[in-house]
Amino acid sequence: MAARFLSKSSSGCSLLGALGTTLVGVGSVARETTSKLNYSDIFFQQQRTFVQMGTNLKVVDNSGAKRVMCIQALKSKKGAKLGDIIIGSVKEAQPRGKVKKGDVVYGVVVRAAMQRGRCDGSHVRFDDNAVVVVNKQGEPIGTRVFGPVPHELRKKKHVKILALAEHIA
Amino acid sequence: MRLEKCWFCSSTIYPGHGIQFVRNDAKIFRFCRSKCHKNFKMKRNPRKVKWTKAYRRLHGKDMTQDSTFEFERKRNRPQRYDRINTEKVLQAIPKISKVKATREKDHITKRLSVGRVNRKREDRRELEQSISLVKAPSVLKEDATLTLPKQKVTVSYAQTENTRMEE
Repeated sequence: MAARFLSKSSSGCSLLGALGTTLVGVGSVARETTSKLNYSDIFFQQQRTFVQMGTNLKVVDNSGAKRVMCIQALKSKKGAKLGDIIIGSVKEAQPRGKVKKGDVVYGVVVRAAMQRGRCDGSHVRFDDNAVVVVNKQGEPIGTRVFGPVPHELRKKKHVKILALAEHIA
Repeated sequence: MRLEKCWFCSSTIYPGHGIQFVRNDAKIFRFCRSKCHKNFKMKRNPRKVKWTKAYRRLHGKDMTQDSTFEFERKRNRPQRYDRINTEKVLQAIPKISKVKATREKDHITKRLSVGRVNRKREDRRELEQSISLVKAPSVLKEDATLTLPKQKVTVSYAQTENTRMEE
């Protein structure tokens, strides 16, 4: 996908659809004439945005799905953040699992690359986008959850996921 | 509320500042500001970046071992609230930080004093060797005032007037 040159101010929604992440403009790096232009620098200065339609998320429970593509973020026009519920389509699944490829499932975002503000003023961000497959009532379909989960889930009343988690960040 | 240390530069992170990054192996990295965060994303090793505390401690620029560091050790056992204890701690904190600051300053002065002595020695040697660039040696021999600083010479008023005229 073509890199888009955006100003630093847009940390929020990109109404330009498909892309989940956008690269910060090369112009900002070109201003530093003293340091050499390191392409890995540009690569790491990504602008992280919401989980929107088309976002691929990793599934971190043992419900059977491996990858889920978000088709709708509930409760927000801009997109889902950490702790929100999304509707996704299973793109990749393990052969014998509770969900199959092509299923439309609900999921709770447990790890998001976009930072989320906490009530004490700090921000948290994770390394990747991950989701736990959930039924309409909000209970997880799987029986195990892998990796760290945020304690934002407690406020959103996803207590069962917190109970199954191996580490709460 | 807990005052954390920045993973990159080791400065304290006050509430409301900085970003916390949670890696998938559940290791939490806290950064005090985006400068440290960006350096981390560039995969820079703080032990090699000159302005960080990690570099300074590693290369002996700053104090590494001292009893005042024991007070700041992270303790994970929650303490029952004790009013007297809390007040004592609140009174002790400025005293401890003052002692720590003076000790760190002394450590740096001690480290830099070697350089001061060396520079003075070098300056003296330069003066002895290169004074001929400023004043001809024959003039130096006649005139007692133009000797080098180490020797203290009593000068009469008439001679100083002469030298001023020459210059």
